[in-house]
Amino acid sequence: MAQGTRPIRKILIANRGEIAVRVIRSCRELGISTVAVYSDADRGALHVRMADEAFRVGPPPSRESYLSFERILDAAKASGADAIHPGYGFLSENAAFVRACEATGIVFIGPPASAMDAMGEKTRARANMEKAGVPVVPGSTAPFPSVVEARAYAEKVGFPVMLKAAGGGGGKGMRRVERMADFDSAWRAAQSEALNAFGNDAVYLEKYLEEPHHVEIQVFADQAGNTVHLNERECSAQRRHQKVVEETPSPILTPEMRAAMGEVAVRAAKAVGYVGAGTVEFLVDKHRSFYFLEMNTRLQVEHPVTEWVTGLDLVASQIHVALGEPLAFRTEPPRGHSIEVRVYAEDPAQNFMPSPGRITYLRVPSGPNVRDDSGVYPGYTVPTAYDPMISKLSVWAPSRPEAIARMRRALSEYVVKGITTNIRYLHAILVHPDFVGGNYDTGFLPRAHSALLGRHDHVLGEVALLAAVVDAYQRDARRERILTPVSGQRAGPSPWRLRARGSRR
Amino acid sequence: MSGPKRYVTRVRGARDSVAVDIEDLGEGKYGLRVRGRTHTVDARVLDHGAVSLLVDGRSYDVELDESGDEVQVLVGFELLTVDVADERAVSLRAGAAGFSVSGKVIVTAPMPGKVVRVLVAPGLQVTEGQGLVVVEAMKMENELKSPKAGTVIEVFAKEGSAVEANAKLLTVE
Repeated sequence: MAQGTRPIRKILIANRGEIAVRVIRSCRELGISTVAVYSDADRGALHVRMADEAFRVGPPPSRESYLSFERILDAAKASGADAIHPGYGFLSENAAFVRACEATGIVFIGPPASAMDAMGEKTRARANMEKAGVPVVPGSTAPFPSVVEARAYAEKVGFPVMLKAAGGGGGKGMRRVERMADFDSAWRAAQSEALNAFGNDAVYLEKYLEEPHHVEIQVFADQAGNTVHLNERECSAQRRHQKVVEETPSPILTPEMRAAMGEVAVRAAKAVGYVGAGTVEFLVDKHRSFYFLEMNTRLQVEHPVTEWVTGLDLVASQIHVALGEPLAFRTEPPRGHSIEVRVYAEDPAQNFMPSPGRITYLRVPSGPNVRDDSGVYPGYTVPTAYDPMISKLSVWAPSRPEAIARMRRALSEYVVKGITTNIRYLHAILVHPDFVGGNYDTGFLPRAHSALLGRHDHVLGEVALLAAVVDAYQRDARRERILTPVSGQRAGPSPWRLRARGSRR
Repeated sequence: MSGPKRYVTRVRGARDSVAVDIEDLGEGKYGLRVRGRTHTVDARVLDHGAVSLLVDGRSYDVELDESGDEVQVLVGFELLTVDVADERAVSLRAGAAGFSVSGKVIVTAPMPGKVVRVLVAPGLQVTEGQGLVVVEAMKMENELKSPKAGTVIEVFAKEGSAVEANAKLLTVE
């Protein structure tokens, strides 16, 4: 964002799915033209339909399309875009891409490459944070030259340990290892996942904290270095390090902890000269000590809950910062409570297997204080090539119990036909006593797995049978009307044939 | 209105099939009897397979999705895949659907059409689900499968001949 006060009239969104749609919406409200990019798998995607312009950037594999500097920048040049919004994932935390944008004279809506360098490689981030006096989880501060050194280090800090991709987040390239016997295969898997997701196979390791909560602080900084925090998000409802439910405020944070973590997060951001929207992730242990985990140098998937309790549009704020404007807000206590759930095209009963396919029918919840950030539409085919998240549903209410009730209500209105989704599973989370109680750690979802798959409701099961029979009866009645010949006509030639014969002379 | 019609339902994953009798009371209202209980159901078909059901006055918003012989039913957070067949279809699809039938079974034509091929002869041992006769109707060839394992007793169907709906084709015992 170092470009300063250059005007932004047109933004290329180097992303797809719901986040591309999300960015387009703010741009439209700001009167900024939008340019979508798409791979061959996404020609019919919602973000392409909604944007003012759209450019093809290659075949379905991300590495040949959404991750290609050259093709994204070619599209930016061809469209005359002033700026690129990277969304999350893909190129959003790639410092080399930020430099490539700068070299091309296009504003990158995000932090400067130097801040990404300092925070992007997590091992470097840890070293920088230790220097800035930020508490960190015991672990390695440099990528290992080989698996031999990694193994020795794991032995030193003690199992269980966590392997993490140095190049990015989102659960990709992450592996929890319980014992030495599993180490080598987990290491190889983490490396190959990291390479596929981020184009960088560097992996580091940390001691795994028991019963940790994942609590993150949203920070925002302008180009003059003014840095504030916008409170926390509780993201402990995770499955394989993928967040499923997020909420703010965190039910376990006191105002004192919030202030302390916020202060540390701001210090972390300032230490690397951060600009724009960023998130500092912490692990909070049983004793409510908190440790720096990593900084995500981009907009987060779960930013809507922060928008609900602050009243801000974080995408618009990113653009204002990119224009060189000073921050128009400061830290204030959260107003009310917000919860977000991630709706996935996946089958929880089949080990969360992705279920891509055609959405034959879609009915989205509405009503007071309900928001659905979606990247799909009825008739859309969820492609196999990308993340199976189809939407983020979020709600706001004055208090946590009311927000939970509202989310349950909203989920009961959500109908997706044609593909399997996790909507029922999400509802099961929202009624689970551990979630309702508020003290759930990152082990909650795996522990409660079988309970969350749910028991069948016999009354509704019976209603389903009645519905199926009424449907079959009506279908059969229709078929009979079509197929049953009118009596008498069968006996002789039909009047139609008689007429045809009569006219042939 | 005609008398009650029986359907046999089986939820995917369930062990037993459940018989449901339905009586058309007119104007979208039905009397349904299942597991000894009778319900009055007011069904209003809306768009896209959405059906509003009033079951004894309680309102249920139901989403239906037909796929082949099965229908997916979403009601509340319950999603069930139900195989529904009337008694005639039960005997036709017995093999594939796993409905079991005992005794002597007459295989009949499901709709008016033409017998394209007869695959078996009297005295032949057949397995459940084995093809018996191919009937062409509405430009589609339908292979009628044996409802049970047993012996073909009689064959009435002749290749090339036209048959009416419910015409006897053969018997298996």
